[in-house]
Amino acid sequence: MKTQAAILWEVGAPWSVEEIDLDPPGPGEVLVKLAASGMCHSDEHLVTGDLPFALPMIGGHEGAGVVMEVGVGVSWLVPGDHVVFGFIPSCGRCPSCSRGHQNLCDLGAKMGGGRQITDGTARHHARGQDLSLMCILGTFAHHTVVNEASCIKIDNDIPLDRACLTGCGVVTGWGSSVYAAEVAPGDTVAVAGVGGIGANALQGAKLAGAKRIIAIDPVEFKREKAMELGATHTASSMTEAVELIGQITWGQMANKVIMTMGVGSGELIGQAMALAGKRGRVVVTNLHPALESSVTMSGLDLTLYEKQLVGSLFGSGNPRADIPKLLNLYRDGLLDLDGLITRRYPLEGVNDGYQDMRDGKNIRGVLVYD
Amino acid sequence: MKSKAAMIHGLNQEWSVEEIDIQAPKKNEVIVHWRAAGMCHSDEHLVTGDMVPPQEYWEFMGLKDFFPMIGGHEGAGVVVEVGPDVTDLAVGDHVSASFVPSCGRCRYCSTGRQNLCDLGSQTFIGGMITDGTHRHFQKNGEPVTLMAKLGTFSEYACVATNSLIKIDKDIPLEAAALVSCGVATGWGSATARAQTKPGDTVVVVGVGGIGMNAVQGAKMAGAKRIIAIDPVEFKREKAMEFGATHTFSSMAEALPAVMEMTWGQLADRVIMTPGVLHGEMMGEGMSLAGKGSTVVVTAISPMTSTTASINLFELAMWQKEVKGTIFGSLNPRADIPALLDMYRSGTLKLDELITKRYPLDQINEGYRAMRDGENIRGVIVNG
Repeated sequence: MKTQAAILWEVGAPWSVEEIDLDPPGPGEVLVKLAASGMCHSDEHLVTGDLPFALPMIGGHEGAGVVMEVGVGVSWLVPGDHVVFGFIPSCGRCPSCSRGHQNLCDLGAKMGGGRQITDGTARHHARGQDLSLMCILGTFAHHTVVNEASCIKIDNDIPLDRACLTGCGVVTGWGSSVYAAEVAPGDTVAVAGVGGIGANALQGAKLAGAKRIIAIDPVEFKREKAMELGATHTASSMTEAVELIGQITWGQMANKVIMTMGVGSGELIGQAMALAGKRGRVVVTNLHPALESSVTMSGLDLTLYEKQLVGSLFGSGNPRADIPKLLNLYRDGLLDLDGLITRRYPLEGVNDGYQDMRDGKNIRGVLVYD
Repeated sequence: MKSKAAMIHGLNQEWSVEEIDIQAPKKNEVIVHWRAAGMCHSDEHLVTGDMVPPQEYWEFMGLKDFFPMIGGHEGAGVVVEVGPDVTDLAVGDHVSASFVPSCGRCRYCSTGRQNLCDLGSQTFIGGMITDGTHRHFQKNGEPVTLMAKLGTFSEYACVATNSLIKIDKDIPLEAAALVSCGVATGWGSATARAQTKPGDTVVVVGVGGIGMNAVQGAKMAGAKRIIAIDPVEFKREKAMEFGATHTFSSMAEALPAVMEMTWGQLADRVIMTPGVLHGEMMGEGMSLAGKGSTVVVTAISPMTSTTASINLFELAMWQKEVKGTIFGSLNPRADIPALLDMYRSGTLKLDELITKRYPLDQINEGYRAMRDGENIRGVIVNG
């Protein structure tokens, strides 16, 4: 069939929305009509080259839609099912999946190439070339063909333009606080960067019972939004935050620090560690440039105060358990998804959406398809 | 195809070795040639009724008849035929049984608790976990169910791929069979569930096929003292070879000694692994547990029993924990290969657990020997 998709042809280029040829689903694959896709900064990392995946690539990895057709051997989905995509596929059988770390499934190794999990070939083609898919999904499109392992079936009553957010940003942020940082009741938590991820780190910290939540962001609109999402204090920079936190904790500093900036920076790690107190934990969720290999921090400080620096992917959660779990929290009013969507755009508006993101105008911009 | 299989037709009967007919595997199923099957006490629990739901529940569970059932849930073998579209196993692959299937998708599998997979709810009802229909039939044409959907007391069985773990071919299948239940259950009880720490004092009550592995697990976790309790002398001697530091023939005999050797602090971990656990045994087990200790209940109790003699005042005031466990709280797909790797490198003893080997025809002799305390583990071997 033919459909529309936003393609990145080379690093630094704008997204090009054009017609593509889409093959039918192969064994283990499904054809999905997409309803919506969040515009996550990770796709911008593709554009800037921070994330060196294989181009040309159809962007988008935070999506939801309805299954139209299933390939041979598909046993968990039928046409009509509503699905959210997990940006990391989960096979359910490798050692990581088996131990409850589906976010680290061995199938993740195939993400860089962006070709189908079953046989490494492409179902999407344009201008006579094979196209790879962001996170083997390609949700900046009206239709896509993905492996069953990337699909999480959800109940039909959740609006898909809200549900799509749980495919990445919501679980990544919420889980960073609840699972990776293990925010405990009474904690003081600092969240550095209030975008699509940080907004959910705030919500997670609040639900986990944090007493004080300090949201750090240079953009005033985002600081205001942060107070609606659970923050108790705000600061416009790490420097301002260290003084503020020192004051409100009488010198004990934060128990947990969550790094959810647009782009991570090795130079800021030392400042992040300084926000943490004794036995404090700094969670690095944001993506650093792939070629960056040095971090500025005090090793002595790490030892003497027994601090921790940990990485976290997808909020250290499990797509198959946490996407339904968080959608249930949304249903019960304990998680705000509606308030995260600042603006909606058609597929053709994808470049506007990313400009608005760069300009700090959106918590989350969402592409909504007819 | 045809196969010889040991089945029981009702409570308290002997295993009957009969010929069965097996249909071709369907989607997500394979045929396994079971080469080794451990004679675990759980199959005995079927015979005595401990693990058989009361008849009034059968209709609710969708069971026309619980019996006849082909026994065996601890085993390893070779895949001889695959169903259509099966991609994760091929003919010739070596596999270990997994008595709790793992779908990899339910809430439990998705949070690292494959031993609690929702497919486990189907292990007692009739038919395949794939589609509920039968593949195994007696000579008279009536269907027969398989213990845990595995039926390792059969030369061949049609099994869902979700119930099988692919293993490396260099591991002897008898060793692999043991890991599929008893070894993992016991080892995990002491490590993953009891969380034995270096320097701990650990008591293991009952050192048969499960308890002996709790002893091994406690040793590997660095326990300082491992007290093995069993009325059978042969088992106490064996326990010393597996890492026990002290042995006693009863919990009553052990109590004053444990009190003395710990200067009154008692045990940090108590693992309950007798052949059958009765509620009144909990009192003695808890009395061996000190402040802040963990008591792990691994053994099977009669299904409908709901009383246990636990001093609740002590439970609270001394902050003890009582925790249940299935499959040692391990994950079949990750931990069966991990345990086999420990065997390969010599840190886990498996060969020494096999007391005697039997052909399928002698299964009743094997269970008599188990009841009489002669075996740590008896294994049925099919060429």
